[in-house]
Parts: sequence; structure tokens; C-alpha cells
Amino acid sequence: MQIDTQFDEQIMGLIASGVAGKFKKVKITRETSLQKELGMDSIGMLSLVFRFEELFGIDIAQLGIEINVAKLKTVEDLIAAARSIMSKAQVGQA
Amino acid sequence: MSRNIEDERPDAFEIVDAHCHIASEEHNPMSFVEASVANMVVALSAQGAPVSAKKLTAMFMSKMQDPLCDALVAEMDECGISKTVLLIPDFTYALKDCKLTIEESYHRHREVLQRHPGRFEVFGGIDPRWGRDSLALFERSLVEFGFRGLKLYPPCGYSPSDRSLFPYYELCAHHHVPVLLHIGPTSPVLDFNFASPFLVDDAARLFPNVNFILAHGAVSFVEECIMLCRFRPNVYLDISGFQTTLGYDPAATAVKKVVSVGINHKVMFGTDFPVFRLQGTQKDFVEAVTAENGPLAELNDREKLLVLHQNISRLLETAVSVAA
Repeated sequence: MQIDTQFDEQIMGLIASGVAGKFKKVKITRETSLQKELGMDSIGMLSLVFRFEELFGIDIAQLGIEINVAKLKTVEDLIAAARSIMSKAQVGQA
Repeated sequence: MSRNIEDERPDAFEIVDAHCHIASEEHNPMSFVEASVANMVVALSAQGAPVSAKKLTAMFMSKMQDPLCDALVAEMDECGISKTVLLIPDFTYALKDCKLTIEESYHRHREVLQRHPGRFEVFGGIDPRWGRDSLALFERSLVEFGFRGLKLYPPCGYSPSDRSLFPYYELCAHHHVPVLLHIGPTSPVLDFNFASPFLVDDAARLFPNVNFILAHGAVSFVEECIMLCRFRPNVYLDISGFQTTLGYDPAATAVKKVVSVGINHKVMFGTDFPVFRLQGTQKDFVEAVTAENGPLAELNDREKLLVLHQNISRLLETAVSVAA
């Protein structure tokens, strides 16, 4: 799996799929706030984590990675975290 | 020249956290955690997320590995919390899968008091149905262990105004220590019928010299809590649990509401560590409350001091001082 712009778009697609109805019209950019603009609460964030694991076939807990949901404030934060997780997953597979 | 944490925060107010627990599975039965997780599983499943209760439980329990409170002290230092009140809910009567007896739990908390002098106070929990042994243990905790309050968890199956609790309140009056009681929702393995703040009214009226703190009063039965705080001189509330609202309301409007109704001499800062560790750190939660545009922004400095530490400190200062 290449960690490239296509990967970033997949993450943005993942975020878009988890956005509640009344926030669907918000245009998602890297700067978009997950809480304030997309209305994602902690359950929404956990849902994203599970969908991410399913999409890429990884287990974050098994990788020994801790996710601090409070630090994930924007789409960019989430993409950066996803990239970091994938890098560690690929190192683990190598 | 060194700079301390107080200097680095924009508003260098002392902070006392009036509501925390030791992060260790020793003090929290798995039946309590698993039933709580069940609610999250329902919510996530409804969204079509590939959720597993086992995995969610493991995620939460991975944050419960700080039995001596070393990590908690590091987090307190990071955000200027000078002191934290550790509460011991007694689940041992209602839930039979507790790893420790309540007496063993008291001893673990005493170890933490001794390990981190000056950083913690402990409120011992009891279930009145344990009878005379429980009363003796609670008195011992005040006289011998240096505990400074009583923790009640009514959803275990009793009213805070049940007469069986009166001997405990007499002890609290004698030793000038407060009572903190859980109100509002909890793990579904327990009884929500005893979650209402009004259940404390008889006790608060009959024991005017005992101070009662309604835990989570900014997020559960808010109007009722405000009314009790406004009209019962000996009833207070803590804001712990406000983190449940931050996801959809980062401005913490729930906190803003209770500090905007003229009861700031009754409101106490609290985080309920480690319950919200998946959502953030102590620093995140302190920042959410003390941010420049946060819920305390419209308070004057005097009121901020009351909420952030003086209200709980005032109640603790009146307690009989004994060596831990």
C-alpha cells in the first residue's frame, strides 16, 4: 500500500462516509475541523478508527499504537495519524 | 532561571480536581466496564462500524494501568493541577466480581497518599448494606488513614437519604468532611432509579452541618442540581463528565450554563479521570475549561478561583487533619 495522495483521499472518503446528515454539505478540506464543522463526537471518532482498520486490514492495538482522540482536531491531523499508523504497519510487515 | 508550570499557563490559577479515581482495574469490576461498553457497541453498530465489544473493552482497559498514580501525577504537573481528590466507589456489595475487598481498596489508596504527599485527598466509599464493619472501616479511614470524605454510589441500590447512612453522616459531621455522591447515568449493570439528585434532599436537610457534592451536576439533572445548590446551603456540584459534551460542543456550554446562574460558590472543577482517557488527557480537559474563550471566560477572577479550587479546598480545609 502506497502512502501517497491517493491514500489521503481514501482517508478523506472515510471521513465523509461517517459525517452525520446535517453536516453532509460541509466541503471537506485538510483544514476542516472534525468536531466543530463535521460534528464528530468520540463515538464518531471511534467509528472512524474501526472503519480505518477494516479498510486497510490492520489492528492498531496490535501495533502498540495509542490514539489520543483529543489531538485529532482537523482532517489533516487525522490524515497524519493514519499515515503514521500505516508506516508502522508496513514496518511491522517488512 | 527556571519557569514553573504556573508561569506558563495564561491564567495562572491553582487548580484542584475534585473528582478522580485510580486508573486500575483493581478498583473497577469488569461487569461495570463491560456493561458500559455495551452502550458504545450499540451506537457504533448502528452506524455500521465493524465494532467489537472485546476490542473496545481492551482499548479502555489499556488506559487503566496506573495503580500508584504516577502517570496521573505527571499529567497533573503538565496542566497545573496541584491536588486531586481520589474517590473510592464501593461496588463490592452490588457487583460480585470486584478484585479487591473494599478494605483492600482503601489500603491501596492509602499507599497512593503516602507515595505522593500533598497531591491527593481520598474519599472512602461505602455501601451501607455492609453494616457495622463498613462503618468501622470508614471511621478508621478518617482517623487513621487520613481520608477526607465519604463517597457514595447510590445506583448500587440505595438512596443517599436511607436511614442506614445516618451514622456515616454523623461521622462526617463530627470530622467535618464532605460527602460526594454519584448522580445521573452510569453503567447499565446498576440501578438508575437511585440516580436522581433529589434523593439527597432529606439527608441534606437533616444534616445541615454536612456538605454534599453532586457529582456530574453540569451534565446530569442539571436544573435539579442547580436548584439544590441554590437553595440548600450545604449542597454543591462538580462539573466532571463535561467531556461527554465536548465532541458536539467544544465550547463546553454545559459548564458555561452552571457557572452562569449565580452559584459559583457551589461549583467545583472535576475530570472523572480515568473515565475519559480515550478522549484526551488532563491537560486537554483543563484547557477546555480554562481556554480564553472557554466556559469560564465571562467569570471574574474571584469566581474562577472559586470554581477551579477554592470551593473544594474550603470544604477540605474544615476537615480534621490527621497524618496519612
